[in-house]
Amino acid sequence: MHSIFARINNTSALLSSCMMALLAAIALSTLVFTARPEGNVSVASVQVYSGNTRRYATKRQDLAFVDFNITADFAPLFNWNTKQIFLYLQAEYNTTTGIKNEAVIWDRIIRRKEEANVNVIGKNKYNLRDLSTNFKNAPPASYSLKYNIMPYVGALTYGEAARTSEPVAFPPRKTRV
Amino acid sequence: MFTEELKAFRRLGFRHVLLQVLNFASVIASGLMIWKGLGIVTNSESPIVVVLSGSMEPAFYRGDLLFLTNPSSEQYKTGDITVYKIPGAEIPIVHRVMETHDVPKSIDIRKYTKSKSKSKPQPGEDSKQDNQLLLTKGDNNYVDDIELYQGLEWLEKKHIVGKVRGFLPYVGYVTIAMNDFPQLKYALLGGLGLLALIQRE
Repeated sequence: MHSIFARINNTSALLSSCMMALLAAIALSTLVFTARPEGNVSVASVQVYSGNTRRYATKRQDLAFVDFNITADFAPLFNWNTKQIFLYLQAEYNTTTGIKNEAVIWDRIIRRKEEANVNVIGKNKYNLRDLSTNFKNAPPASYSLKYNIMPYVGALTYGEAARTSEPVAFPPRKTRV
Repeated sequence: MFTEELKAFRRLGFRHVLLQVLNFASVIASGLMIWKGLGIVTNSESPIVVVLSGSMEPAFYRGDLLFLTNPSSEQYKTGDITVYKIPGAEIPIVHRVMETHDVPKSIDIRKYTKSKSKSKPQPGEDSKQDNQLLLTKGDNNYVDDIELYQGLEWLEKKHIVGKVRGFLPYVGYVTIAMNDFPQLKYALLGGLGLLALIQRE
């Protein structure tokens, strides 16, 4: 019990057990928080144009361009174990052929509580396209704002903050001006 | 330093050495059992992975440890962070799902997965299963992963190793260091082996 080797052995064992206990305590303590933030999503307009697919430059594909308004407050989700919150706005619809689609059209990362109040009038960052090359089989889509809390230590949690009150239809394709 | 140990070995005999080797082997075997057991419980071939690239910053940095599950009955949703492996690529990639298209059993999914290599379905692969087509993107990348797919249009469930459930920072940096400096790996293994053999308890 008095050699250097034994001392190092005991100290490092104690250090690692305390570290594990601390990390477990941090991870479990955040389970106490059950805040569910509320928000509002509304879609101002949807337009469908014909564009090129990214991989095959000569293949045509219908793309939908969405303008939307989002307001939400995510401050209640921030605690000592929150590293960042990943927000994403997605379009959901089930085609008449039976395929269920969900596509993220906009996202944002919030890293501090001061930025947690979200008020965005924007348009889609990412291309919204259907598996088939057009939106003829696509019924009106709902748009929902979801979030993912990423902790410093522990389990990832997901939730939904807002949803459009009624589905928004895809208009027929316009030829480019 | 070793004369004391060598005298002890001569006194205790060859059986003692064999016993030490057996102890060593049973430690390794139980470690392997725990790893494979964890793989069965989570239904993933590799339930704990280390983040290798910076494409998911600021959420995951190089060296973070991720815990995965791969529920076979559950469909993946947008926003899930998945680890996938493209056949032909060695390293698994950790990115977030941006699009999901759930194709029911009645539709043949091969209509939509016109990959550049037009291969027939392998025996054992049922193309009439309830399947999903996925598109992923790293948080720190500007564009989605289509260039990483090596000819595939979409990812399917069979490419996914698992979905990230939990996270431990920095712990995995040891494996990255061992990969970048292989001498460190040999030194560590050699040192552990030596320690196990010369321990007398």
